[in-house]
Amino acid sequence: MMTLLLIGFILHGLNLLLPLLLRDNHRLNLVCNVLNVAASGCGLFFSLSALLAYQRIEYAFELPVAGPVLIGFDGLSLFFLFTFQLLSVAGSLYAIGYLRHYIDCGHSVRGHLWFFTLLILTLQLVVIVQNALVFLVIWELMALAAYFSIVFDRHKEEVRRGGFWYLIATHASTFSLLVCFLTLHEATGSWTFGDFARYPSYDPKLLAVVLLTGFAGFGIKAGFVPFHVWLPNAHPAAPAHVSALLSAINIKAGIYGISRLLLIVPAHDPAYGWGMLIVALVSAVLGVWYALAQHEIKRLLAYHSVENIGIIGLGLAIAWLGRCYNLPELIALGLAGALLHTLNHAIFKGLLFFGAGNVYLYASGGNIETMGGFARIIPLTATSFLVGAVSICGLPPLNGFVSEFVIYKGLFRASDSLPGYAPLVLLFAAVGLAFMGGLALACFTKLYGIVFLGQNRSGVAPVRQHEAGSSSAVLLGLAGLCAIAGVVPATGLRLITPALHDLPGASAIPVDWASPLGQLQTVFLLFVALTMSICGVKLWIQNKTGVSLRETWRCGYQAINPRMQYTASGFAEELVKLGRPVLGLTVSWQPVRSVLPLARRFHSHCHDRIEDGYLFLNRVIERLLASFRWIQSGNIRHYVLYVFAAVAFYLLCALVW
Amino acid sequence: MVRFSSEPLSWLACALCFAGAPLFTGIVNKLKARLTGRLGPTVLQPYYELLRLARKETVYSANAGIISRLAPGLIVCTVLFTTLLLPLGQSAPLSFPGDIILFAYLLALGRFFQILAALDVASSFQGMGASREARFAVFAEPIFFFTIGSLAIVTRRFSFETVFAEISWHDPFFVVFVSVGLLSLFFLMTAECSRMPVDDPNTHLELTMIHEVMILDASGFDLMLYQYAASLKLLLYCSLATLLLNPFGVFGPVLGLLIFVVTLFLLALALALVETLMARFRLLLVPQFLLFATAIGILNILIFTFSH
Repeated sequence: MMTLLLIGFILHGLNLLLPLLLRDNHRLNLVCNVLNVAASGCGLFFSLSALLAYQRIEYAFELPVAGPVLIGFDGLSLFFLFTFQLLSVAGSLYAIGYLRHYIDCGHSVRGHLWFFTLLILTLQLVVIVQNALVFLVIWELMALAAYFSIVFDRHKEEVRRGGFWYLIATHASTFSLLVCFLTLHEATGSWTFGDFARYPSYDPKLLAVVLLTGFAGFGIKAGFVPFHVWLPNAHPAAPAHVSALLSAINIKAGIYGISRLLLIVPAHDPAYGWGMLIVALVSAVLGVWYALAQHEIKRLLAYHSVENIGIIGLGLAIAWLGRCYNLPELIALGLAGALLHTLNHAIFKGLLFFGAGNVYLYASGGNIETMGGFARIIPLTATSFLVGAVSICGLPPLNGFVSEFVIYKGLFRASDSLPGYAPLVLLFAAVGLAFMGGLALACFTKLYGIVFLGQNRSGVAPVRQHEAGSSSAVLLGLAGLCAIAGVVPATGLRLITPALHDLPGASAIPVDWASPLGQLQTVFLLFVALTMSICGVKLWIQNKTGVSLRETWRCGYQAINPRMQYTASGFAEELVKLGRPVLGLTVSWQPVRSVLPLARRFHSHCHDRIEDGYLFLNRVIERLLASFRWIQSGNIRHYVLYVFAAVAFYLLCALVW
Repeated sequence: MVRFSSEPLSWLACALCFAGAPLFTGIVNKLKARLTGRLGPTVLQPYYELLRLARKETVYSANAGIISRLAPGLIVCTVLFTTLLLPLGQSAPLSFPGDIILFAYLLALGRFFQILAALDVASSFQGMGASREARFAVFAEPIFFFTIGSLAIVTRRFSFETVFAEISWHDPFFVVFVSVGLLSLFFLMTAECSRMPVDDPNTHLELTMIHEVMILDASGFDLMLYQYAASLKLLLYCSLATLLLNPFGVFGPVLGLLIFVVTLFLLALALALVETLMARFRLLLVPQFLLFATAIGILNILIFTFSH
């Protein structure tokens, strides 16, 4: 089995040579991506079979400085490896059809494919190394590969800008992690995760440093509020297959890191759990509220990732609380909810980003106010996007509901067993989750309704376009996975069971903790059967009574046109207005004065208050540093003087000591 | 495992609910008519309407796609299915730990497709209704979770059947707690079922409606399904509110049934009274109204927690 993974990695490695050998862009695109699919597919086969017949495997070899390097496949690593490989297969397959449009426009994809392959490879490596130093190196490589993949269309100003946001964020993350792991190394004298976990006596102050820097470092990558600002900037900048991978799996590397950290560090203080719960809840609510105010598909989806990361964070917080109070069932529920949602979010968010990519191909720009009626233009994309939208809203019987259900269950179970006023806080968290569900519903009915339904607002004729075979296969495949993982929750559960087995105190987890998921399966199958039979009866009766097509009822008005449909801004306006304290909404319009007014403009924009905060901080620092700018006079004699002064200073120091 | 009730009575009660939903709407309409001094149509009028619609041809908009054709059946199905989760009688036809979450999310699924079906026909009227529905749903969702969720936390149970079974009339605090919960659910019902003061089911001015304007383009059998789903949803929420009193558990099946029916009738009367005495709120005030209901829920659980 292990050879399969090795073959996969070797194929990826070969792929890194391909852009040097092949000059023809079309052929390179095809060969490189097919190889990527094959490589990730081999890996996928390995991780799936390893998860199903779970046995902990470890390989060790020596490296200078870093000491023994462990390549370890425990439940957590295998689960994330599986998720990453699944989406890598989908992303590479999708890229074949998607990049063809770019190549036709005269773009060269050689450099891009090199970094894209590197991104996929490092993403897989980062979850299996169990050595902190090697982990950091790969982490940094992954960040750089992702950056260069994002700035594919680098001639555009906004793409470079979005990429820059990502670059800053990811380096802040690496820096924070460096502090975290160096602290751990200081304490334990080792670099391997296993030794960190086995170390018996941590100093609480030191643990505080480790946890805070670790949460910050991985949290930046994952996109928790207030570190989320890079997501909505970087995602629209990247081409669709890269933004899909960024959102579906790259940010999950942060989740992997946090889960790993939670397992390494001994649980001692529930305060971290409560803090995480609040951060997660704030991320979830703010993320979806910001998403609601967006007019661009990818930006909206990026903010939605913040929401979903928040939901995953809720699960992780429950798991931490479970560890602090030594309640194995709670750990199982929390971690299971978080991991299930990680997998589910990877599937449906990948699906949605790929769908968005197809929409971008046939629409001029990403502004949804000019769209409409795409269900007629690209019906396959529309159908699978609908499945993704229902899943992401957490509605039954699709997979989003399953993981949210486990997290709800965790919240209620925690309120049952935690002392003091904890039940109240957890009730508020559950209600927050419900509130967020309502907002997500508004957000995705808006997105789907405005983009795919109705008539096109910019007058594009509803002619069916050809959808690339590879992208249709990916979209329908992911939609199918959403349905399977939803209606048969046991599939997802099977994949996370090994991770739960590795937990400290796993034997104490009650056997029936996952029984509600089995129940869901029966209920969902019943529900699907009932819906189908009702729809069947409906068709049968309508067949008898007759069906006809007419124009939409216009209440008697004759001169109707597509631009009179509800707009996305109009749809979300009142909800966005309610969020004004956090949403930074600016609206400008030309007032209507005369009886027969000419064309008027209305413009509304929602800017992120937290992003504004960062920009303000940036300006303050810039102004502060500007007062030292006179040092850089540009006069060579001054610089010689600086060198002389510095040498003199050191000599003086040497004399004095 | 999912527990299917072995009691024929609970299935019978559920079937009665399915069959009697239009009757309940008819009763509310009749009461409303009498309160405003009109004779009003017979209580069976909703049945006649449904039959009439079922026999008619279905007209689809030329803009409508698969969503408009899928939505009616799916929406009816969500409401039918949620009714199965309520313990009408000693036990619910279908019960498992966590069904309270499924209840809320199934209804949200119906709403999702209702909104999409409205946006499907490319008309500004339907879009307006859809926008309002989406907005009010955001505020309605927390009310349900505060009332039922706080009950679940207080009783430490996780399904309707077991939560309601824990409700007793001995503890005065608990009685207050439950009564306030009933009030919250009544508020929730007005929003979810598009009744006054949130929505006016009788108006024929498209600009002022929510539910009616969303189904403006539906006709024939589809419209029948929408109307039936709406009436069943009304009965569903009223039954849910009634079940908070746990009539079957406290008073036994016979007296319980009597109390259940009487409470339902009282709720219908309250609904009719509200619709007679009040005008519809301005739409901008509706979120405040719903937030008020949420605030009651918060206050309720706070008082209960600190008194124990």
